[in-house]
Parts: sequence; structure tokens; C-alpha cells
Amino acid sequence: MKSFLLLFLFLSFPLMAQSGEEETPRSVNESTLVGLGRYNLRDTYLSPSTDIRYTGWVVQVLNERMKIVRLADYHVSRQQLIHVEFGSTRNGAGTANEYAGFVDYSLGYHYRFPQVQPGLKVLTGASARLSGGFIYNTRNSNNPVSGKADFDLNLSAMAIYHFTVEGFPLTLRYQAEIPFAGVLFSVHKGEPYYFLTQGSKEGLVRFSSFHNKFAMRNYFTLDVPVSAFTIRIGYLNSMYRTDVNRIKTHVLSNSFMIGFVKEFVSFGGKRLKKEGQGYRSAYY
Amino acid sequence: MKPFLFSLCLFFFFGCEKATEYNSSPRDNFEALWRIMDENYCFFTFKDIDWDDVHDRYDLLVSDTMNQYELFDILGKMLAEVKDGHTNLISSFDMSRYWTWYEAYPANFYKEIQDRYLGTDYKIAGGMKYKRLADDKIGYVYYGSFSSGVGENNLDYVFAHFKDCKGLIFDVRDNGGGSLLYSDRIASRFLEERILTGYTQYKKGNGHDDFTEPNPVYLSPSDRIPWLRPVIVLTNRHSYSATNDFVNVMRLLPQVTIMGDRTGGGSGLPFSSELPNGWSVRFSACPVLDVNKQHTEFGIDPDIAVAMTEEDILKGRDTILEAAIEQLLAKSDSAEAESFMVGINPDAGIRVALQKEPDEPYGKKNPNSLIE
Repeated sequence: MKSFLLLFLFLSFPLMAQSGEEETPRSVNESTLVGLGRYNLRDTYLSPSTDIRYTGWVVQVLNERMKIVRLADYHVSRQQLIHVEFGSTRNGAGTANEYAGFVDYSLGYHYRFPQVQPGLKVLTGASARLSGGFIYNTRNSNNPVSGKADFDLNLSAMAIYHFTVEGFPLTLRYQAEIPFAGVLFSVHKGEPYYFLTQGSKEGLVRFSSFHNKFAMRNYFTLDVPVSAFTIRIGYLNSMYRTDVNRIKTHVLSNSFMIGFVKEFVSFGGKRLKKEGQGYRSAYY
Repeated sequence: MKPFLFSLCLFFFFGCEKATEYNSSPRDNFEALWRIMDENYCFFTFKDIDWDDVHDRYDLLVSDTMNQYELFDILGKMLAEVKDGHTNLISSFDMSRYWTWYEAYPANFYKEIQDRYLGTDYKIAGGMKYKRLADDKIGYVYYGSFSSGVGENNLDYVFAHFKDCKGLIFDVRDNGGGSLLYSDRIASRFLEERILTGYTQYKKGNGHDDFTEPNPVYLSPSDRIPWLRPVIVLTNRHSYSATNDFVNVMRLLPQVTIMGDRTGGGSGLPFSSELPNGWSVRFSACPVLDVNKQHTEFGIDPDIAVAMTEEDILKGRDTILEAAIEQLLAKSDSAEAESFMVGINPDAGIRVALQKEPDEPYGKKNPNSLIE
């Protein structure tokens, strides 16, 4: 997977020679945010022929790690995202509930363009995402759950802007991700999951692209240093729409996020001794 | 190129079809219900139902000014046109149903009479009531709902309790169904080898006959304690849905006799959807066919038809249960006589599997011991 991503990056951008020894330690930017927002679900497996909308709340947790890597003379950064969400929704009449939960992990590499403007970083690249989840309708008979499992290759772009307001340093970031190809799991319209235990497996895994899937994530964050901490405030917009095996699914969320950011240098093993003079460990 | 990009943008931001919003309009809900059934119900052709004609007849009865109770009554009657116990309209104040498949027939099961046989010292394991009858020669199990969980250990203990019995009566009268998982789990205890039990289908399109090819369904023997001695399954018209499926499997086995009344049927796996006003609708969506690829939606006939007589009911005597006991005892006597003639013990193979009392962790039996 990593090789494929790197190949994709190299095809996308001019390859630069790698320099020799790394001079400046490369730190990791890590944040963990929790969020609360609105959830909007529709799934025609759960409401055949009517496509009822369910709305409610969603809680999300997003862990992000970014680090510059050696590739292309340190012009590439790696981003890892672990995202968990759970939502509770109700139909318009208020007579039924749907719950949904999703977990995903993505690994992305972005080429970092030289500064086009002071304070502005522009990154473009690709990522691979593995995700799984469910939508559960509490009152259905043999179609209570719509299970989801996806593997996607995404196009990703990010802009990070450092600026000050009356001397107060702030960092704004916008990132957008769109999957362009992948595979996903889906039963067929009208097929009970019970039939899968009886050997019915045809067409359960489908190639996905823009013809049957449109998903997108828009992620805005603002980093605000407060005392010895950096608080990250964010807005996460997520769209997931599929039309596969005659089942249409729509999962939309808009959440406000908040959490902490830390910037740290990660080293262990032999580097721990090598860098031994530069830190005071409570353990080693 | 430009039109393509424009279309792509439109799809991105507006491409999703409009969702169905809350709507209490009687006509819109009538149309939604009719369409849900039209596109998803699986027995229109089998039952020779002209669903378009149903639309035209009930359309005349729906008005924009009717209240929710009147609308519910009309929509419930429209659903009853398919004569299906798995088809219901469910609101917060009522559930429409078609229960004629058992209400119009003799009950052939009375709990008060059954209590005379069970007494108060019967055992209960995983929703099964069980007791030895006829001087401990016959094991009797009453399983009243396939929604009551039955674990593998429950079955081990039940069969161990009957280890010296000559035969088993498995009573599923008035069992309205539940989970197919339990149906398969119990039936697998009566198998010697993997068998074809039927076929399943689901609708791949919205047309009334847009079904997938029948997919064969097999059931394998359990690797826990089996029961290969004579079995009689008792049925009545209220043996429905998963119970019908259980009987559909059990009737294939050589040591099993189905006795009582025809089952109620209900061979379509129900799915659910909902109307814009929030009412839920359940309907048969996926037919489960028998080994001859025939529907059992209208029930399965017993091997031996027995009905409870008025005289027996007055005496508190279960005609069907008595007939089953008599049949098993007669079989046992004839088997013993036959084995005496040829010099074999008919119980030998089973005893190997049953001689160990089940306990946690219960050791898995050696499948080969069955045929020793």
C-alpha cells in the first residue's frame, strides 16, 4: 500500500534528489480532537423503496500525526489519521431510531510545495484509507443492519497558514480529501445477511469510484497557543454517498472539534543513546 | 469536457436524490405503502395477486381529510389482501395483521391440557420445557418460540436427560417462529450427514418476479450430542415461520415423523421499511423454498394427521400427544423385536454418545462413535 502511494506521489510531482544527512530533527505534530455535531443518515437497505432520512447527533474522535519524511529531499510529509464516530438519529416522525458507528485509518503522503507566500504551506498528495462501520435500525426485522467496509485511495490537498493577530500567533489549516478508487463491501438490495452464512457471496465486494461512490472530507482547524498548550479548534465536514448493489447510502456529518496539539521529537532504540545529552528522561 | 466537469460538480453537491421527509398526507402514505409492497413483496405471482387492481380499489377509499385511524384501517386491509402472516403495518397505536392462517382452524393445542402432562416438575433449558413421559420411555420437549435462545449446552443436557428414552417428541405447536439460527441449531442434532434442506432467493429487482436463482442451502450435523432415535414433531396451524422452516428440515430425516395439523406456513423472510408518517411496514421479502424448489408459504402437511377430539379436550387429554407416545412406543417395541431377531442392540450407537453426562467443559464427541 505504502509503495503504491509513493509511486503515485512520484508520478504526480517532480522527483527530487535526496540529500545526505538530516540536519534538523524532524518533529511529529500530533493532535487528538473530540467533536460533536449533526448526523444525517439514509440507507435504502434499511428503508427499501422509501429512503427515509434520519437525523441526530454524532460524536467523533480524531487523532492525527504529521511528520516530514526523507522522501524527495524532505519535501514530503506523512499524515496518519485515526477517526472514530458514533451517532444516534431518529426519523422525522420520531417513531424509530438508527445508530451508526464508523472507524477508519488513513495513511497519506503529501508533497510540500515551496512557500508560495510567506506563512503559507501548500501540500498535495494521496492517501489510503481503510474504514468499516454499520448503520443499525432498531425496529427492522431481517434487515436491521447495513454493514460498511471500504478501502479507498484518496486525493488530498492541504493548505496551512501561519499568521498573527496583534502579535498573537495562529495557524489555520484546510484539508480536503476525496476518494477516487477503491473497493467496498455491500450486500445486495433485499439480501438478508443471514444468506451470507449460507454461501451467498457473489458481488459482495465491488470496485468503487465516482460512478458509484462520492465521499469527501473537509477539515478546517485553527491552532491557538494558550499558556504552555496549543489548543486546536476544528470543523469536520464528512460526506459519504454510495449507490452499490442497488442500495443507496448517505452518511453526512458536520462536527465542531476541539483538542490539544503537541509537537514532539520521537526517538527510541539506538537514537535514544545517540541523543542522550539532549533530554532528561523520567524512565531511561 | 466542460459538460462532464459540470455534471461531476452537480453530482458532488446536488447529485444525491431527495430523501423522503416526514409527511402525514394519507394519499402520499398510501402510495408509499403500495410502492414498498409492489417493489419488495415476494409472493405476488405465487399467490396470484393483482397488486395494480388492489391499488385501484383502495385508492378510492383514501381521502386527504381522513384521520390517522381511518387511514391505518384502510392500509391494514390493503395489506391483508396478500394473506400473509409476515405482513404487518405497525403504528404507535396498533398493528395490522392477517392471522387467519391459524385463527380459522382448530387450535389443536391447549396449554391447560399440556400442563396435565408437564405437571410442575418439568425442566426448562433455553426456552425448552422437557420431561420424561410414559414411564420414562419417551422424552418430551415443548419449544414454544424460536425467539427463545437455545444453546448447545441446553441441547446436550436435554438429550442427556433422555438418554434412556426410546423416542423423543419435539412439540412445536403454537410456536409462531423466531430465529432461523435456533431452527438450524436444533435440527442439526438430528442429522447423520450434511443434507440439502432447501433453497433461498431474494429479489434482485423491483419486478414481481425479479428473483435471484435459487441458492441451495445445506445443513451439517452438529458435532455435539446427536439424537438419531425415533422422533415425532408435533405441529398445528400456529407452527409458523421459523417453525415452518424447522419442520421443513425435520421432515427430510428418516427417523422423524411429523404429526398433528398442517403448519401455518410463513416461508418468506420478512424485511421492514417505513412510511413517511413513521409507520413501519413488515413484509415477506425472500422466499425459502423446499428441496423441490416449492413454496411452503401455505404450510406443510404432517406425515400423520391427528386432530384433538372434542371428547379428549373435555377429558383434558391431548389426542395428538397421546398418538405420538403410542406411535413411539410401538416403534420401540418393533425395533426391539427386530434387534432380538438379528442380535443387535438398536441403542448401541447412541449410547456411546450419551453415556457421558454433559458438564462444562463438555467434551466433543467423536463423530465416528455414532456409527459404531
